[in-house]
Amino acid sequence: MSAPTVSPASDYLVAVEQELSDLPAEDRSALMEDLALHLEALASEDDDRPLAVRLGTPAVYAADLRAAAGLPARAAGGPPARSRLDAVLASAAYRRALPVLQGTGRLLVELRPAWWVVRGYLVVLVPCLLGSDRLEDIPVPAPMHSHLLGVLLVLAAIAGSVILGRRTLPKALRVVVVSAGVLLVIVATGAALDVRDGIRFGLAADAWAVGPQVPDETYPLLSRYGPVTDVFPYSADGTPLEGVLLYDQDGRPLHVGKQEWWKDECLRTLKQPQAADGVPVPNSFPQQYELYPGDLNLYTATAMGAGSCIEHRERPDVPLPTFAAESVAPAPGD
Amino acid sequence: MDASQLLKGVLDVAVLAVVRDSDGYGYDVVRRLRTAGLEDVGDASVYGTLRRLYSAGALTSYVVPSDEGPHRKYYAINDRGRSVLEDSTKTWRTFADTVDRLLDGPVAA
Repeated sequence: MSAPTVSPASDYLVAVEQELSDLPAEDRSALMEDLALHLEALASEDDDRPLAVRLGTPAVYAADLRAAAGLPARAAGGPPARSRLDAVLASAAYRRALPVLQGTGRLLVELRPAWWVVRGYLVVLVPCLLGSDRLEDIPVPAPMHSHLLGVLLVLAAIAGSVILGRRTLPKALRVVVVSAGVLLVIVATGAALDVRDGIRFGLAADAWAVGPQVPDETYPLLSRYGPVTDVFPYSADGTPLEGVLLYDQDGRPLHVGKQEWWKDECLRTLKQPQAADGVPVPNSFPQQYELYPGDLNLYTATAMGAGSCIEHRERPDVPLPTFAAESVAPAPGD
Repeated sequence: MDASQLLKGVLDVAVLAVVRDSDGYGYDVVRRLRTAGLEDVGDASVYGTLRRLYSAGALTSYVVPSDEGPHRKYYAINDRGRSVLEDSTKTWRTFADTVDRLLDGPVAA
């Protein structure tokens, strides 16, 4: 046997192998093992022409080979995904990251039971969150307004989810289950954001609401700022008026609520003027309050220190308009 | 008519027929096919066909060391290959007869 020399077939062989690089390794190696012998036998034939002339280009040769051997044709355009993946898997960066990736992978596998439990909970919670009365469903879902039913359903769903998780499913079914899980998480996230906005809105509404939202016995007159407890009338020239009788659009006496809160925290009582027949007149404004005898604290009903209660009640500062003579402007909205 | 398209359909039976007569290595099979008249047959097609028939169990192979050149891998037909060839031969004859009759003229009713 002659000493091995650089075979004229080897360059051609390498080029053909490159064209077959997308094939599974076992298919490729089975083809290549024989092809080396075949091409060397061919090269040793009594023919001076190069192999590329006798056999065609390596790409054409490889394409014919695939077709005849019953292997799939090479995918058009760019290196196939498989070889790109191989390149990534062979890269130094990947090898360095491999322990971390493997650790993360193991951790994810260990955490799968936790996901099964969460999945069972979400399966019950999410449909409840999509209905009304969502705040009632957190943390325990209340389908049909029953927390007991919710607990039972959650337990059943968790059991089912864990059984499903422990089972080895066919690939098609596994794809369905994973897709459903992803969808569940997306919908749950959306619903959770919705609920959060709802809570935030509710808190904001509570913060703004001072006192009752509808007129009642205690506060019969409400403005947008809350209950009205007094009215301070002025004449057009800015003179504060006392003892003004006010009536509504239907001629009914205007009633306001009793003022419960005072800046000096002293207890006061309402003293309404009385008509000749002894009946109190509630619609005389401003309302008359008097300090409770003994200067008691509003909240504790204990005696306040001397001089801490303001005897004479000041009117609040109001920005009074100045009227031009004979001018009457239309109100906004007229 | 492009004979290479026809060739693809009958390459299996042609290769089996060549190695039925005597065992052959790749290029030897190509040469014998060309000598027999299939001049358009490509090396890669023959080699691929040999590999596929071998994978399908219709051929066996053995390596013959050579003092003068590279080793040669010979392919030999086996019982399975012979039975495949037999079936393929029948199919081919029926097909060829049908096409012959079509080409020769109107079929007598």
